[in-house]
Amino acid sequence: MKVKFDNVTKRFGNRAVVDRLSLAIDEGEFVVLLGPSGCGKTTTLRMLAGLEDVTAGDILIGDVRVNEVPPQHRDIAMVFQSYALYPHMTVAENIAYPLRVRKITKDEIRRRVRRVAEMLEIQSYLSNRPRELSGGERQRVALARAIVREPRVYLMDEPLSNLDARLRVQMRGELKRLQHDLGTTTVYVTHDQAEAMTLAHRVAVLSSGQLQQFDTPMNIYHRPANRFVAEFVGTPGMNFIEGRVDHRTGTFSGRGVVLSLNDPQLQRLKGRERATLGIRSEHVQVAAAERDGWLRAVVYVTELMGNETLCFLQLGDEKIIARASADFRAEMETSVWTRLDMDKADFFDAESGEALR
Amino acid sequence: MTAQTRQAKLSNQNGASSMRQSRRARLVIYITLILAVVAALAPVYWMLTISLKSEVDQFASPPRWLLFSPTLAHYAEAFVSRSFGQYLATSATVAVLSTICSVTLGTFAAYGLARFRMPAKLNRRLSLWILSTRMFPPIVSAVPLFMMMRDLRLLNTMAALVIVYTAFNLPFVVWMMRGFFQELPRELEEAAMVDGDSRLGALFRIILPLVVPGLAATAVFCLIMSWNEFLLALVLTQTDAAMTLPVGIAGRVTQYEIKWGVMSAAGVVAMLPILIFAMAVQRYLVRGLSLGAVKG
Repeated sequence: MKVKFDNVTKRFGNRAVVDRLSLAIDEGEFVVLLGPSGCGKTTTLRMLAGLEDVTAGDILIGDVRVNEVPPQHRDIAMVFQSYALYPHMTVAENIAYPLRVRKITKDEIRRRVRRVAEMLEIQSYLSNRPRELSGGERQRVALARAIVREPRVYLMDEPLSNLDARLRVQMRGELKRLQHDLGTTTVYVTHDQAEAMTLAHRVAVLSSGQLQQFDTPMNIYHRPANRFVAEFVGTPGMNFIEGRVDHRTGTFSGRGVVLSLNDPQLQRLKGRERATLGIRSEHVQVAAAERDGWLRAVVYVTELMGNETLCFLQLGDEKIIARASADFRAEMETSVWTRLDMDKADFFDAESGEALR
Repeated sequence: MTAQTRQAKLSNQNGASSMRQSRRARLVIYITLILAVVAALAPVYWMLTISLKSEVDQFASPPRWLLFSPTLAHYAEAFVSRSFGQYLATSATVAVLSTICSVTLGTFAAYGLARFRMPAKLNRRLSLWILSTRMFPPIVSAVPLFMMMRDLRLLNTMAALVIVYTAFNLPFVVWMMRGFFQELPRELEEAAMVDGDSRLGALFRIILPLVVPGLAATAVFCLIMSWNEFLLALVLTQTDAAMTLPVGIAGRVTQYEIKWGVMSAAGVVAMLPILIFAMAVQRYLVRGLSLGAVKG
């Protein structure tokens, strides 16, 4: 089922928590709402669920405006961050609840509960109560309760955030597979960009209630719409150097760094004196020995990540992060040589932070 | 002696002394508890024995603690020749009806106050206003209530008592239940509604089963308050038609004599229903009173 947010605003008092949000989600699509805490992503999801009123604008499920439709008539299923399992019911009763309130026959309920339990491999504790289960098991029960009914849309509010790291990665994969198999439109809220990048067909990045970018994970990462997206997405986020453009010499100068620009870049920066250069750490190379045309930098600190080394460098008066291979070693405060792959650099408006393309 | 055995011996001594200390602490606790139990049960014992003693034994000096020839004459007098049986029935009817009314109304009010966002901080203000009705002593309202009931032609009826007790218990129920509802995460109802249930359905199927301990504790308190209430019952009822036990018992204190035996017998019987009910819901009572103290 398609879902559409049309200029949706939510105000608490005078504060706009969601500000003129427009999103069109396709049938069967997995969309992740990504943003830091307080960006309005959960409120957006709750408005779609019918748990919060919409201050202005329209929400459509299918082609029907649902602003005034109460949650029980929206035909959606939601997985809560806390799982919200009913503590006084067994696992089987929890899963059966959405069917029971719809007055489905007992045999049919039993059949569907069993099928979902098999799908999520929770048959062995169907007669336990939620408090007897571990976090991961509760998570599965919450999922089972959501998918037992075959609703039009799944809503998930940070469903993996209460799991430990290993389990989270495992469930992430299973969720992706599950959504693929079910083919049901899913809206998923998270502040974890790894979840967003791995799960989503498209990611909607939100900041202070406003949509920053709505695009595929690939484009979110490689063609960020603005500085916020570039910084928020990626570990570490993009490096930024604020500086001046000299069209006469074709160079970009930050504090203590001068970089030469290519023609298309000069074309993009035409008529501008100031801009922000952005470059991902994988496009910053480092070497221990001097090389021709490379810049000298001072190592602030290095972090061995296992498969790679993150080098925090002082380049002129700018701080940038470079990715080096795992065997790269450099002491603090020693000199290294670095090269910024300028073909991969992005530019942003110095004031608004909008990407210049 | 090796260092190890010395160590073992030392820790042993330590263990023994700490055990002695904890035993002494436990002794103090037990003595205190025994004193408290004696203080609580002494009047009950007194009432029970008086109700079974002949009038001669009641006033014997020194008192006959245990050795007296028991008699059921006072019980017979109270419940056969006098109308204490009827008072008992009235008390039970009034207490049960008013408890049902106040718990039902109060629970819904509490749910609304706990869950719905009202404008202008109305949730808090309404709650405080409801609580404030408990702040004046009941006697202040005795005369107005008497006049109201007179005008409504409800004097000497059980209805008057049910209405008044419901009104007096309501704030208590609202505050107790509001606390229990606030303890429950909102997401439970939200999940239920998203799952396809109405708000009322979620209240009955999800929320109320979870606050049963709280409901039980609240109901016991309401029952006890209605059962023991004396002042308003005295003002609003004068005839046997709607007289409750406390008023009936007090009526045995007359100008010429005080019927200690009859009063005690009625008192013992009056105690029993509450005792039985409290024992029946004890399991919930403890959980209800400590609900919120322990999450889980």
